[in-house]
Amino acid sequence: MLYLSQAIGRPVRDQHGESIGTVADLIVAIGDRYPPVTGIVVKTNGREIFLHWGSVTSLDAGGAILGTSAIDISKFQQRPNEIRLKLDLMDRQIVDIDGRKVVRVNDLRLDEVEGSLHLVAVDVGPSGLLRRLGIEGPWRTIARGLHRDVPERYIDWEDVDPVERTIASVKLRVPHKGLAELHPADLATIIDQLSRSDRVGVIVSLDDEAAADAIGEMEPETQVDILEDLEPARAADILEEMDPDEAADLVADLSDESREEILGLMEKDEAEEVQELMTYGEETAGGIMTTEFVAVPATLTAAQTIDRLRELEPTAETIYYVYVTDADNRLVGVLSLRDLIVAKPSTVISTFMYDEPVAVRTDASQNEVTGVVARYNLLAVPVVDAEGRLEGIVTVDDAIDTLLPQPSKRFLPRLFGRSGSAER
Amino acid sequence: MKTPALALTPRAVNRVRFAAILGVLGPGLVSGFADNDAGGISTYSVAGVRFGYDLLWVLLASQIVLFFTQEVGARLGLATGQGLAGLVREKYGVRWAAFMMSTMLVANVGSIIAEFAGCSAALGLVFGWPNWASALVAAIVVVLLLTRGNYSKVQYLFVAVGICVSTAYFISALLARPDWGQAANSLVIPHLESNAGYWVAVVATVGTTITPWGQAFIQSYVADKRLGPEDLVGERLDVGLGALLTNLIAAFIVVACAATLWSTGATSATDVATIARGLEHLAGPFTTVLFAVGLLAASFLGLGVVPLTSAYAACEAFGWETGVDWRWREAPAFYGLMIFFIVSAALFVVVVPYSGLVQVMFTAQVVNCLLLPFVLVFVMRLSADKELMGPLVSGRFLLTIGWLGTALLVVLSLTLVATSFMGF
Repeated sequence: MLYLSQAIGRPVRDQHGESIGTVADLIVAIGDRYPPVTGIVVKTNGREIFLHWGSVTSLDAGGAILGTSAIDISKFQQRPNEIRLKLDLMDRQIVDIDGRKVVRVNDLRLDEVEGSLHLVAVDVGPSGLLRRLGIEGPWRTIARGLHRDVPERYIDWEDVDPVERTIASVKLRVPHKGLAELHPADLATIIDQLSRSDRVGVIVSLDDEAAADAIGEMEPETQVDILEDLEPARAADILEEMDPDEAADLVADLSDESREEILGLMEKDEAEEVQELMTYGEETAGGIMTTEFVAVPATLTAAQTIDRLRELEPTAETIYYVYVTDADNRLVGVLSLRDLIVAKPSTVISTFMYDEPVAVRTDASQNEVTGVVARYNLLAVPVVDAEGRLEGIVTVDDAIDTLLPQPSKRFLPRLFGRSGSAER
Repeated sequence: MKTPALALTPRAVNRVRFAAILGVLGPGLVSGFADNDAGGISTYSVAGVRFGYDLLWVLLASQIVLFFTQEVGARLGLATGQGLAGLVREKYGVRWAAFMMSTMLVANVGSIIAEFAGCSAALGLVFGWPNWASALVAAIVVVLLLTRGNYSKVQYLFVAVGICVSTAYFISALLARPDWGQAANSLVIPHLESNAGYWVAVVATVGTTITPWGQAFIQSYVADKRLGPEDLVGERLDVGLGALLTNLIAAFIVVACAATLWSTGATSATDVATIARGLEHLAGPFTTVLFAVGLLAASFLGLGVVPLTSAYAACEAFGWETGVDWRWREAPAFYGLMIFFIVSAALFVVVVPYSGLVQVMFTAQVVNCLLLPFVLVFVMRLSADKELMGPLVSGRFLLTIGWLGTALLVVLSLTLVATSFMGF
């Protein structure tokens, strides 16, 4: 086991024991679970030379010994997946994926794995800090005298995500693989702690759907910041993946120019949906409804309706009810998923649909919607306009949001929370 | 290094809107107001009492330097999204960061003691409270404010308190019926003297305006508000306004003292309480109350800002940026440091006699002066780093002014340190 800080500045000797310089840095190839050391940077006569790891016989806290006497100073090409440990990682901020927080690298821990040296863990604990300050020894002596431990804390390299800025010296597309596997809510928590450019870096690396899910979990002002910092085309793609009601709320908070530009880049019907949703008051049924629902004509059979569901692949919240509409798009009935499944496949749905469906008007207040959902035990309530035309549905999860108190304000969110999204 | 600005669209950089500028206002204003804390007000009043209008030109000069140093700090925050301590650690290593932080912490304990002393003096003047009662009340209020308050609202409180201080001293100056012509003259025409005491006052006046923690404060504030490169115009306006107001207040204090005590030959007072009492005979009891209210508000502002900035910067430098929630359990270092500052400083004020306090405050100022050159050199070098700053890098003009200002402040700082050791 070796800490990077123990090797840096140590002498590098050739096979005859002649000192030729000092260890300036180590190079690893990232991508593997534990990145192998692939090169060493030697400082000699005030300049840095790169040596392949193959020419190093041993490296420990005493320094490095080379296997050759003649150094091959043929130009070392830093490959795109290679990073310099000291330059690119030491003292930088990284994301501790397991702990879901941003921490600072105090030291790096290297270990022999299957005969070669690998980067295995990041030291983020007090002991690493003391080691870097060169006072670990004395401190430990004092601590022992007081019968106290010096806390150590390591994060396995596997659970680390280097944020963009960290290893930006190489043009490396950080895959953020670990982050992409997190639950959107956890990912949102981590992204909230990053600086603006790092946030964008993480979002850019995700696919549209994952990005949409993560953004959906964020505070409104963070959503706006991120969307405005993204390339407008990418922002449009991500918005398309969001629930139209969420997208509409977000788009409404954007600056005028951004809004126009992003809406212009979205698919036409998605953009129209969002724009339509934006016309409703935020606190009304129209404001919280989604336009994703399944509506079919009354003449279909149960089997045809189920086929239609298969075709449309509705999302989880919207699959439970199938709405029946007439030629003018007026709501005439509703079917539950259960009704459809237990009915004989050949039955026409008008014969068993519930033909007095409960619905709310687009201008109904949020409380009214919640009341209806609670009274009738609905998973979703249809929203109709003045003429009874089906405009959208409010799913139970959006309806009960209003019942909860405002998201309990974080204790001390940051040193200086921002003044609010309305101004921006 | 990838510059954060590359992640932003060019459209965003060009966007300058009034609403956006309003949203940006805050960091510079609060920082400016907080510069006139208890230490500042006593320095200005003593300067006014001893040297009359003669030091006004120093205020104008230090306002200009303050604008440029704060502008660089804000720009660093805008470009990197990081606080000063974090940047110093990434660029110059953990030892420099540790040196900077430990020095700043020592100096800031001194400043916090000065704030408590200010509270005690003010409450003693108005209500006749004993020292211990004032310190206790101040400590409780500040702890409640910082642990229970929502910071995004607390910043408005800070601005409100700052305005209260400004108004109090503006009216005090009016009530003192000063010689405005002479004041205006002294503001623009430098007054030079060969008297060492005069130059110590010059250095103290500059030193209380431009502080290491002020530099850390503005940068963290800007970064934490998640302002980005597109907010540059608004931020410059904010910083300019902050610097202007800071020095207007300082000028009113000097003028009020010059017009009353100095002009009647009472130039011996060395502390705010004596000065405020002196004002009673010359400008009426109302002036004394105003002076005390201003001092109280300024001390509270300092108490709100200095411990918080210190704890925050330490956490940033040492990587204790624990979870996003900043709850007690998750951020023991942060809260522990803050409580330590407040409790130890409050105790100090209660236990140590007044002469000891003066000594401590003066020592704190010397430590600050020793640290300031390092901080400014770091800031200037960082701001000239093209990789780090991207389009916000300091151009030749700003860099020249910045280095000139730094050189000037280094000379002044060294002068103060030298004179303090020679015992002026």
